[in-house]
Amino acid sequence: MKPAPFRYERPRDLNAALSMLAASSGFAKIIAGGQSLGPMLNLRLVQPELIVDISGLAELKRAEISGGELVLGALVTHADIEDGRTADVTRGAMRAVAANIAYRAVRNRGTIGGSLSHADPAADWISSLAALGARVTLRSLAGARTMAIEAFVVGALESALQAGEIVEAIHVPVRAASAHWGYAKSCRKTGEFAHAIGAVLVDPSAASARIVIGAIDTTPIVVTDAAELFGGRIAADYKQRFDARVADALLTKAGIDDATQRHIHVSVLKRAVLEAAA
Amino acid sequence: MNTIALQVNRRAVELPAEPRTSLADFVRDKLDLTGTHLGCEHGVCGACTVLLDGVPARSCITYAVACEGADITTIEGLDEDEVTTELRAAFTREHALQCGYCTPGMLVSARDLVLRLPDSDERRIRVGLSGNLCRCTGYVGIVRAVQSVIEARRARNIAPQTGGGRTSLGPAGSGRATSSSSESGPARQALAPETESAAPVRIPDFTPATVLDQRFTLPHAPAKVFAMFDDIAGIAACLPGVSLTAPPRPERVEGMISVRLGPIAASFEGAARVERDPATLSGRIVGIGTDQRSHSATQGEIRYRLLPLEGGAATAVELAIGYTLTGMLAQVGRPGLVRDLAKRLVAEFAGNLDRRMSGAPSEPTAAAELSGWSIVSGVLRARVARMFGRVGKGGAE
Repeated sequence: MKPAPFRYERPRDLNAALSMLAASSGFAKIIAGGQSLGPMLNLRLVQPELIVDISGLAELKRAEISGGELVLGALVTHADIEDGRTADVTRGAMRAVAANIAYRAVRNRGTIGGSLSHADPAADWISSLAALGARVTLRSLAGARTMAIEAFVVGALESALQAGEIVEAIHVPVRAASAHWGYAKSCRKTGEFAHAIGAVLVDPSAASARIVIGAIDTTPIVVTDAAELFGGRIAADYKQRFDARVADALLTKAGIDDATQRHIHVSVLKRAVLEAAA
Repeated sequence: MNTIALQVNRRAVELPAEPRTSLADFVRDKLDLTGTHLGCEHGVCGACTVLLDGVPARSCITYAVACEGADITTIEGLDEDEVTTELRAAFTREHALQCGYCTPGMLVSARDLVLRLPDSDERRIRVGLSGNLCRCTGYVGIVRAVQSVIEARRARNIAPQTGGGRTSLGPAGSGRATSSSSESGPARQALAPETESAAPVRIPDFTPATVLDQRFTLPHAPAKVFAMFDDIAGIAACLPGVSLTAPPRPERVEGMISVRLGPIAASFEGAARVERDPATLSGRIVGIGTDQRSHSATQGEIRYRLLPLEGGAATAVELAIGYTLTGMLAQVGRPGLVRDLAKRLVAEFAGNLDRRMSGAPSEPTAAAELSGWSIVSGVLRARVARMFGRVGKGGAE
């Protein structure tokens, strides 16, 4: 239960970190809070030759509202969000998600950028940020690119990050005053990885919704044109109109063959819809 | 070795440690502060919880080197702490411990709840303590003890404190270090050179622990596809992450299969044999291999069956991929993640196969490197089967 030996570098700034990554040609692993990588290192599932510790980089610890969105540096922790040390443009949605990630001792070090980079389908930010319509900025020595969260996660533990690239910031749009939010997950033990996640952002007055079915062992299902899930139109009565059969069909299409699993996912999604409508 | 300077229980400490030394091992082995207990060593049980810059953190998955300049408080440093003094009395009164193994971590987490929670709501306390496992008490006494201290303090008009007093952003314990690097050269011993003996003598039959079914179609006739499946070198070239180490014969194919699931990488070297039945257009590849790096072994098989489609113009290929893992990589199992990987790899295999059968040059076998980072060494080039996964906490890096 001790990691295999590794070399350790603590770069002085982001550019130095990116240079180290570029020079390592894939032999290096970035560590931030280490709450996902640490266990894997201890179990020797991961044995990098070099660890680049970015946890001290002030450039990645910003949190500011700019251009109508919240920009969070990759090193903002779950506890930072839970406690309200960062501004909130989601009217409490992100705070509630953060407060239920793992355990407090983990949230004090675990970072939003690290969680996204790890791309575990069962983790909370992948699904919740996709529902909130967030985007992520990736940076390498060659420059930066920004993409939607749902494009960033390409599979189980597989993200769009290329060699030499790291998550720099997360951009969260302001939640409309008329938009309802619901988030539900199923865990057999508090704090463990979820077995099912439902995240819904419904704006009845704009007749729009973003619906996410997550923790399905691969990229979450993100529905941006969600009218069909609510009997053809999204209106004030969306709670009554939620159509479990459409959700079930989406899961079947995503390759979830087990009817019990689909039932759990549909139930959790329904809970999220009910929470949004409450 | 790195020299690590930090504060432990208000005392400045400067000691050498390897980068891989956890904060828990650092305080226990180098400072003799053995009140910090190690249980699971992967962040689940909470026995190792200490205060890092005043807030709870797992010292088993926090490396000492990452805490340069930080302020650490272990259970020994809480002797005079006001909240912990009250908690100790309450733990005694409520029989909140038996063997005591979880107690140091439990007190650190309980202290944090006493500071932060607005009231003594039982559910919130239980959720707050869910990251600290106790196998003796059933938690009833612990919860009562924490409730009583919160009630007493709120009755004395001591207000809760959001965030336990933390004001800065970023991982607790970070931010006070200057840049640094390990002083020694390559830390790892070179892997033992690959030898002939890596390929086992015998290829046994087995019953797979996990079986994944996959299916794809090819725009070629079944007979042509079946003939293609007889070209072992050609098939190997289409399989992501597979390379052959000797000229293949049906009864013995020696080679290597590399897999990667996120940051987890393995490269299994071994042997396989190929069986086919022309009457049913079906066959089976069964093999056995070991990954030196992780001291893991796998047995695997691919059963295939070809079915005519579109009146024989096209072929449906049905695959049943079965495997059993032993060793280090077997400690975490999440078949769902492997299924996702298998799906992606099979899609790639199908694409390569189609390209090859249509006469296009096939992609190089490094195809298993789906997203292209985390290459290990000259021998272990790409990685294939991503068989593993869950390490038990709520998705927080």
